[in-house]
Amino acid sequence: MLLEIDGLTKMYKKGARANDDISLEVDAGQVLGLLGHNGAGKTTLLNQVVGLVKPTSGTIRIDGRDPVADPAMARRVCALQPQAQAPLTGITPRQAIETMARIRGASRQRARQRTDELIEALELAPWASTVGEKLSGGVQRLTAFCMAAAEPGRVVMFDEPTNDVDPVRRRLLWEQVRALGAAGVAVVLVTHNVIEAERAVQRLVILDQGRVVAHGTPAELRGQDADRLRLEVVAADEPTAHRLAGDVDAVEPAVVAGRRVAVPIATGTATATLAWAQEQRDAGRVDEFSVTPVSLEDVYIRLVGTENGADATEEVGHAALAA
Amino acid sequence: MRHWLRSYSLLLKWTILRLRTTLPFMFIVQTLMAAGIVLGFAFLIPTHDRVTALYLSTGAPTVALITVGMVLIPQMVAQQKLRGLFDYQRAMPVPRLAMLAADATVWVAVALPGMVAALVVATLRFDISFAVSPLVVPAVLLVALGAVGIGYGIGYAAKPELAGIISNMIIIMALMFAPVNYPAERLPDWFAAVHQWLPFQYMAQAMRETIDVPATGVPALPFLVLAAWGLAGLAVTARIMTRRA
Repeated sequence: MLLEIDGLTKMYKKGARANDDISLEVDAGQVLGLLGHNGAGKTTLLNQVVGLVKPTSGTIRIDGRDPVADPAMARRVCALQPQAQAPLTGITPRQAIETMARIRGASRQRARQRTDELIEALELAPWASTVGEKLSGGVQRLTAFCMAAAEPGRVVMFDEPTNDVDPVRRRLLWEQVRALGAAGVAVVLVTHNVIEAERAVQRLVILDQGRVVAHGTPAELRGQDADRLRLEVVAADEPTAHRLAGDVDAVEPAVVAGRRVAVPIATGTATATLAWAQEQRDAGRVDEFSVTPVSLEDVYIRLVGTENGADATEEVGHAALAA
Repeated sequence: MRHWLRSYSLLLKWTILRLRTTLPFMFIVQTLMAAGIVLGFAFLIPTHDRVTALYLSTGAPTVALITVGMVLIPQMVAQQKLRGLFDYQRAMPVPRLAMLAADATVWVAVALPGMVAALVVATLRFDISFAVSPLVVPAVLLVALGAVGIGYGIGYAAKPELAGIISNMIIIMALMFAPVNYPAERLPDWFAAVHQWLPFQYMAQAMRETIDVPATGVPALPFLVLAAWGLAGLAVTARIMTRRA
């Protein structure tokens, strides 16, 4: 294992437990996604790996070596794209990427070659020679991504690399993340973008309040959800939404938020459910509906809840409403 | 050591790229300021003998270095902290001191033309000539080390708002209330005694007595004191830069 974290706990002086007994592993060539709310402890975890923050207890090993005892080693072996915007004032993306690759140890030729590759791959050419203060947030973020990806070392960690990035380039960015994995780098990817991350990662760790609440491949995390579908209905009005929620042949209680109803259904009953939904629509009780596979986002939300607890959603048991 | 030098030269390139639009402006301001001290203070002191002229002409380059090291640098560090640059730099795989050295090189280079300009203006204004010692080179470097070391110490140790205030106090101190542009005898005894413990008069003395060597030769004391101040400042800085939460 290239990166091994075992029982890692970090407590800050004010008593907050930022990381609580976290264990995970990333091998060479693997892309690990790290999901969690703001404040779930993701950034603290990365900062400990790269030797900027000292763990309270537990161990970290990078290729068998200890970043706590030798932080300079950790910074050489790991490339990190921090969450903060890169300092690009006065510097163009091309200069920043190339110089950072050189600082990270690349030869002049390799630095230039990687810079060209990444600028082309992420379609940054129109801005490659524009100074940082004139760049949009998204282009700055992509530049910071390239600064870490150009000479990634053996472990590369990206802290929310897709913030402010447009959908087309997000897709290109995920491709580069996969390419880094394919090149044998161990990649740790922190993101809020649960659905998109699925395309790039082999395994996922979900953090909540500093603890690992789930760990596995996207398929494993879906688990029982794999043979389920998700029906979403926008009802004509709120009382109708509540009434309809009880009518569906669901495998779990429906979630109602305003006029919206979301229900997990078994794959086998999909045809019948669709027909039912079409009838409701014809009758004017439903404005629109859709059936989709259960997304990783659903799994994620089920595991860690919504940002502010229950939000405006409420769980509705069908028994109560069937009456 | 190779890693250190490689990091240093790349960081130097990075810093120059980063500051390239502001550097010409800095050059001009620094040069005008150094020349301005010579000319401006000559107005304040209407009659000038050789001693006054010597203090003013060697005080100006000293103030130029103090401004860069103890005013510009802490303000720059404060700004970097506010913009999150500090966190970014901490994750770079480079020796911490190479990072400081690269920054300091650029800033001291900014001050150099001003120092020369001050001396040229002084010779023209006061019709004075100097007995310059080759030791002026280490003197400039040591004054720079002292000022830069203290400057970084302030920048890293103090909160950004406080660093701005402290650096403003330092420039007023160096210009008006320190025996840099005039002899220490003109100060009240207690204040002259305080200055025995501050770096300003040693900076001025190192510059003055290498630009115009006194009959007794170049003294060692200012060099030692400045080295100590510089190292203390860098030690504080290194401690804060490598501190882990």
